[in-house]
Amino acid sequence: MMTMSKVAAYAASIAVLLSVGVAPESPLRLQLLPEAHAIVGAPLTPVSVAGVARRTTRRTVAVASTTTATQSSAQAATAQQQSATAQQQSATAQQQSATAQQQAAATPQPAAASTAAAGALPLGTVVPALPAGCTQVAQGGVQYSKCGANYYRAVFQGNNLVYVTAQP
Amino acid sequence: MRVRTKWKASRRLAGLGLALASLAAAPVQAQGPGVDPEAARILKRMTDYVGGLQQFGVDTSNTVEVVLHSGQKIQFTSAAKSTVQRPNKLYAARVGDVVSQSFYYDGRTLTLVNPEDGVYATVAAPDTLDAMIDFARDAVDVIAPAGDLITTDAYTRLMADTSSGFVVGKSFIDGVRCDHLAFRGDGIDWQIWIEDGARALPRKYVITTLALGGAPQFEISMRNWTLTPDVSARQFEFTPPPGARQIEFLPVGNAGAPR
Repeated sequence: MMTMSKVAAYAASIAVLLSVGVAPESPLRLQLLPEAHAIVGAPLTPVSVAGVARRTTRRTVAVASTTTATQSSAQAATAQQQSATAQQQSATAQQQSATAQQQAAATPQPAAASTAAAGALPLGTVVPALPAGCTQVAQGGVQYSKCGANYYRAVFQGNNLVYVTAQP
Repeated sequence: MRVRTKWKASRRLAGLGLALASLAAAPVQAQGPGVDPEAARILKRMTDYVGGLQQFGVDTSNTVEVVLHSGQKIQFTSAAKSTVQRPNKLYAARVGDVVSQSFYYDGRTLTLVNPEDGVYATVAAPDTLDAMIDFARDAVDVIAPAGDLITTDAYTRLMADTSSGFVVGKSFIDGVRCDHLAFRGDGIDWQIWIEDGARALPRKYVITTLALGGAPQFEISMRNWTLTPDVSARQFEFTPPPGARQIEFLPVGNAGAPR
């Protein structure tokens, strides 16, 4: 939640395209850039370069949008999961359609706002930061953050700490 | 991202006035047709040397450029201290732009810790450094610090898709005289600076991703190399601090809820 203040600082929703090749010692601030500054690309790095060659499927890209605290209600937070695949074949099941990275970046996240009011997110949605107004809930030894209609649990996605919607 | 480049394997060690130095003369393999043999030789001398070090510590500073929609480039920097003991231990602590993170590999498990967030994740890992680095990347998408330069097969990894390369000349990095090499691969240009003395250590490494608009670069500088680091077991074994919470890794290729 330490990222909350940063998130709230942006008047608009945050939508970030984390490029697949992103960084070993990955710059985690990438996740917090305002939507207007969505990232088109980051350089390959030694290990990730090798990874591209070795894998048939790179990790899908998390495009998450989080409305800010300025959007009042506890529902304020939404996130939309898209996935981009580095390679055509990779499409992952639960995720929304895969598009080439460039394409995704070029279409400036039109869906972010429209799905904002939807409330409950599909399970497995990944966001880089928790929305405002969450309460902590422990269940079955796992700690969840309940934020509006959604429960999130913290996980590492690669080197990045992210939050994924879950069913406690 | 269509960039494909592999960094591959070979190994041997050479070293530091050791009798093993003769091994450095082992034939240079797997080099692209356009690679100047001298550039290949210098590179291989480094990978053999580093691959043969049984332990070392190094401080790294990484800069990653990202390209925004506007075409503007932004750099992010982080620094890390790494300690390696072959065949299977690695510890690295990183202080980045926003989040600090530690990486522990003790030969059995690897653990990622975000101390400020009070969370960590542990996963069983292969029992050699080389295998662990591949595993970390493939299974959990975690990039081990300095990953590619420290594997025993670094030369083959680096040269796999490299089609040309040459010696740029001598250059001083942090006051140390180095050989500056430049290579070109599939959508990638890369440069490396290697000490030209007895210790054939890498001092700087730059990767330019040509396939992306703006050709962003990744740069790593290496300094404070030590061949006598603290390698006590507790360096590499993670003990959860009081109150730290264990979480999971999201499986690669699956943004869905972890099982």
